[in-house]
Amino acid sequence: MDSAVITSTFTSPVILFFVLGFAAALARSELSIPEAIAKGLSLYLMAAIGLKGGVAVARSGIGPDVAAAMAAGFVLSLLIPVGAYGALRAFGRLDKVNAGAVAAHYGSVSVVTFVTAVEVLQGVGLAPAGYMVAVLAIMETPAILTGLLLARGALGSSESRRGEMLHEVFLNASVVLLLGSFAIGAIAGPEGFEDVRPLFDAGFKGVLCLFLLDMGLIAARRLTASRALTWRLIVLAILFPVVNGVIGTLVGFAIGLDPGSTAALGVLCASASYIAVPAAMRLSLPEADPGVYLTMSLSVTFPFNILVGIALFAALTRALSGA
Amino acid sequence: MIETVIRKRIEILADQPLAGRVTSAIDEVGISGWSILPVTAGSGREGRWREERVTGADKVLVLTIASAEKAGALAERLAPILTSHGFLLTMWDVEVIRGERF
Repeated sequence: MDSAVITSTFTSPVILFFVLGFAAALARSELSIPEAIAKGLSLYLMAAIGLKGGVAVARSGIGPDVAAAMAAGFVLSLLIPVGAYGALRAFGRLDKVNAGAVAAHYGSVSVVTFVTAVEVLQGVGLAPAGYMVAVLAIMETPAILTGLLLARGALGSSESRRGEMLHEVFLNASVVLLLGSFAIGAIAGPEGFEDVRPLFDAGFKGVLCLFLLDMGLIAARRLTASRALTWRLIVLAILFPVVNGVIGTLVGFAIGLDPGSTAALGVLCASASYIAVPAAMRLSLPEADPGVYLTMSLSVTFPFNILVGIALFAALTRALSGA
Repeated sequence: MIETVIRKRIEILADQPLAGRVTSAIDEVGISGWSILPVTAGSGREGRWREERVTGADKVLVLTIASAEKAGALAERLAPILTSHGFLLTMWDVEVIRGERF
């Protein structure tokens, strides 16, 4: 891994605030972000990332690389859970339901990991294309369907339950806000964005710092309270992002994405959901243990990606493309 | 002296995404009202937990008051999924004013 990427990662205030939150929670500090503020930060970040992505697409237009990236994201999200499921059953020793639930998390994506990656990648001259926000939104859902099929062999036990789950999957707050603000950004374009730039651009990094402070606190507190995590599952929670991220980076390179978008696709494949998928799994697979899937994705994989994964896929992209 | 009658107060601790299943069951047995209260932290057989806001693993308390007959019907309806859905159901007698409303 080249030193510029490592230096950029570990001197970034965004990353350091995450480390602060994680360390504070491990030290059993009572530090916390008030609930209403944490929700506000999350809404702000999703609206900002969607808007900026939409504006970038309005500026660059839609080319064949956009369609290729979206198709690759969709297929990867659909297939990644299959490999994860096999490893979780064979090595992780999970039953079908829990393995399916965990696999769905690893095929889906983490918005916060993506937002953090964009900041870090921009810092090392690998800014991803704006349309990667749309790829992010596309990758949220297919893995949920694969996970349910693996766990149950069906998408739901009854029509009303299936409708409830699909409603959660397609109309959850993050998908609606991300895609909605992406559309607003694409319609408004660069000129329209100028009017709201002071709010959505100037404050973005500061808000991300505070949000990652909160995520560090949440991740570490869940880790210390967990009783369900075995060493085998911890190993898989670190192996999955490495393997999936390398696959994503190689696919991005193979389909001809620009280096920044290639690294971002690697990060998306490496990341595991802890917002949209847990709610969908709670509805569809209530017997699956959130102590397993949430602790793996939020307390092991998420910190791994923030501290190591993003830099790893940036370095791999540089090695592949010579960027 | 104000006249009171005995009714059942039922509390169901549930994960937030599953609260809709509980309120649907309450509606289906003909209980006319319910309230949802936030729960900030706790500890149980699965370990400690606290409100995380973003993960969908937060818990809520669904509260309702009903006649003994309707409370029994609700308990029967929820009993088969108490373990699989991780619900905690408790009920006890309370005195209420305007008993015809419950």
